[in-house]
Amino acid sequence: MAIAAIDTFARLARKVDSLMRGLPVQTPAVEAEDVQGLVLRGYGNLPYALYPLLRFTGPKSAGPWLKRYLARIARGRPHEAGAQTEAFQIAFTPAGLTALGMNADELHGFSTEFLSGMVGPHRSRFLGDVDESAPEHWRWGGPKTDEVHALLMVFAKTEARLSELQAELRQSYVAHGVSEISVLDTAELSRTEHFGFVDGISQPAIDGYHSTDSHLHKIKPGEFLLGYPNEYGLFTERPLLNGTRDPRGILPLDAQGSPQRDFGRNGTYLVLRQLRQNVPLFRETLDKLTRRADGSSNKEAQAYLAAQMVGRWPSGASLFEAPHADDVSKAHSNEFRYQALDPVGARCPIGSHVRRANPRDALPPHEGTEYSLDVNRHHRLLRRGRVYGNALPEGQVDNADRGLMFVAINGNISRQFEFIQHSWLNDPRFNGLSGQADPIVGASNDNQFAPSPKPVSAYCTGLPRFVTVTGGGYFFMPGIRALRFLSELTP
Amino acid sequence: MPHQEALTIIAPVAEEREPELAEVMRALAANPAQNDVLAFGALPGCHFGRVLHLPASTDLSGQKIGPQLMLLSDCDGSAEVHLRQLVAVAGDGLDRLFGSCVDYPRQPSPENRLAFLQKRVQPVKAVYVHRQGRGVEQIRREAELRKALVTWLAEQRFQGLSAIAIRAQIIAHVRASGPLRWALEPAEGIDAGYRLRNALDALALPLGLAALGPVVVPAALLLLLLIRLQEQTDSMQSGRPAPELVRTLTELEDFAAHNGFTAGGYVKPGWVRRAAVSSLLPLIGWGSRHLFTRDSLAGVKSIHFARWVPMDNGRRVVFCSNYDGSLESYNNDFIDLVAWGLNLIFSNGLGYPSTRWLVFGGARYEQEFKNFLRRHQFPTPVWYSAYPHLSARNIERNAGLRTGLQGHMTEQKAQAWLSLL
Repeated sequence: MAIAAIDTFARLARKVDSLMRGLPVQTPAVEAEDVQGLVLRGYGNLPYALYPLLRFTGPKSAGPWLKRYLARIARGRPHEAGAQTEAFQIAFTPAGLTALGMNADELHGFSTEFLSGMVGPHRSRFLGDVDESAPEHWRWGGPKTDEVHALLMVFAKTEARLSELQAELRQSYVAHGVSEISVLDTAELSRTEHFGFVDGISQPAIDGYHSTDSHLHKIKPGEFLLGYPNEYGLFTERPLLNGTRDPRGILPLDAQGSPQRDFGRNGTYLVLRQLRQNVPLFRETLDKLTRRADGSSNKEAQAYLAAQMVGRWPSGASLFEAPHADDVSKAHSNEFRYQALDPVGARCPIGSHVRRANPRDALPPHEGTEYSLDVNRHHRLLRRGRVYGNALPEGQVDNADRGLMFVAINGNISRQFEFIQHSWLNDPRFNGLSGQADPIVGASNDNQFAPSPKPVSAYCTGLPRFVTVTGGGYFFMPGIRALRFLSELTP
Repeated sequence: MPHQEALTIIAPVAEEREPELAEVMRALAANPAQNDVLAFGALPGCHFGRVLHLPASTDLSGQKIGPQLMLLSDCDGSAEVHLRQLVAVAGDGLDRLFGSCVDYPRQPSPENRLAFLQKRVQPVKAVYVHRQGRGVEQIRREAELRKALVTWLAEQRFQGLSAIAIRAQIIAHVRASGPLRWALEPAEGIDAGYRLRNALDALALPLGLAALGPVVVPAALLLLLLIRLQEQTDSMQSGRPAPELVRTLTELEDFAAHNGFTAGGYVKPGWVRRAAVSSLLPLIGWGSRHLFTRDSLAGVKSIHFARWVPMDNGRRVVFCSNYDGSLESYNNDFIDLVAWGLNLIFSNGLGYPSTRWLVFGGARYEQEFKNFLRRHQFPTPVWYSAYPHLSARNIERNAGLRTGLQGHMTEQKAQAWLSLL
């Protein structure tokens, strides 16, 4: 009884807290005109994309180059679907911002994770970037490759247009002393990733921009954009600059009311990871694990096991809603909660990829309640990844490089991307499990997976790592006014 | 079955000998479980252990506090007996570890080593134990049980069998296999002496309140009012922790299922805050012993052991815990589940994010709170866990697995039990 009283008190205290702080009752509208478009939508109308990684030689090179492209950086305004044929987006590393003329004091306002970057002994251990995924093997972003300053993202309606843009960009690099470290290619837009599953279904909707009634997915703008209240009703740390640094008043004022200029407003952190998927190994492993007693392959059992590992069927239908077979009518359904009807994972395994990446209401405290959902809201990501490499036809084996250019957008790398990666996907003890990292993306070469108990789990053991990291970095994707400020900045 | 106690030793260090101590600490940090200084792994019934070298510091009135050496462990049974075992196991290793401490015996012997340490034992009132009575041996054996069952299950085919039938087969397997048969016996109850003392201790608070209520309640309200007045002007320190400190701390984190957390700081100046700390710590201790006894510290289920150590005549408080997962997730649990509880005690610390009425605000200021904790953390390179691969929830589930080998179950209960596997 005393415990229950304390618990009630704790919940009450959370409410009182919010009241006392006088949180804004209404979420401010997102200034879409000042936000780079990718934050608000994934450019489904522009199926071709490539991502050049750039390096500047100094402010004299970077500023004018940026200025030249400024007007073409796509904004988040509602587009006329047919009209748009291309879009540029740009994001920077701390070194890139320095090259553009920001000083150390100003950079200090960014988050620790962004400033220290994705590479380092602790961070690699934390993210599971070890063994063959260790940064020393990376193709870009690692200690043995050129330091990246900027990530340019180019989207186009046709392949021909994309090549034109690429040629034009290369000319501009030469003219401005910008060097192209590498170009990350993507495949023609497809919703299906290389293991054969529709990806990117569960996306948060930004309160103050997207119109949605979804209680589950409506998330405060501060979780994805700096300068807005987040799910705690607070403003995330961001670089605030003295007015003298911005005499022309390009940057917006601090929405929290200080006299400073907010460099962060309408900007956000972009996490990019090149994830190579070993499709032959994935298929071979499924086959091995599901052979019949006579040694023959069992296609149906393979499909079921794969779906159990993912937590969704190839169409995207959740195992929670379609536990026995794929059901296209459920492919887009995304409002379900696990706890009440599936507390032990009898439909959708506790350890399956999607139930880990977004457990909804399935985690303490008080699984199945608003309290649990409330905590879950602190760990959401906008995903804007695209597939790269050719699909591998069924029955074939090759050694080609294919996978996902994983892109996540979040306001707090530590609480969102890194937390999900470490504590939900990679932790073998996630939600009370033992020895089970994520069966699809987990960083383990000797992984285990417990499918739905029937009524006891028939463990799959000795699972290899199917996904390796071959490059990655943390970037800051500024708002449009901040880009203009950067392009005119003198150190 | 033993209960668990906490051992805390604090010894001042001779400043000129600190480099020597630092070297011993490095040797110890290389492998806290096995080494020739103090092998925590050789201490029977030791759940967690850590050694800290606190550098010299200047208190709020400008007075210097010299460097100190802290040894902390969480053990099965009495801390007194545990200390004797520690002296026996470490032997002359203790001379290296404590040799740089003020007044360490010049000609050490088992007797005067023990006497030296006994004299420096710090009584700690506020101690949290995830589950009283669950000893190291039990935790390890139940993890073995789970492992053995999972391995055996992988070879079985239960197609079409009911949960009850499968459970019966599992029980039969455990019975037939010699090395697992112990699991059919329920875990021993906690020792009677402890239970009696604990029952009396549980009564002490309500009885004390009943007797002294007319004095204590108004005094507490007055104290709260005074605190509220001070909160208006308390200054909050903000700002990111130094990058070097973060680097030093993170290099030591996230190797095992859990991490050791050590943080400390000065109590805000004035008698009001001191009085708050000295009355709240015993209350927290009482709550931990009698309320939060079932695998949860006010909703946080990821802490194995924790304690609040008042130091330097109440000028400072050091908090130590052993928590599952990353610091980020630990912090999030704090903020989301038990902000009020943290505020209660930590808000008496200098620079804490501002609170209202002692329990509101504070930790709810997410980033300020996370920065505050990082800034006040002490790197703890010498840290030992007896079961580095197990989270607190793993331990609970393993215990549930064993308990479920006994008695009758309905089909539904049996299904729930099987899902622990």
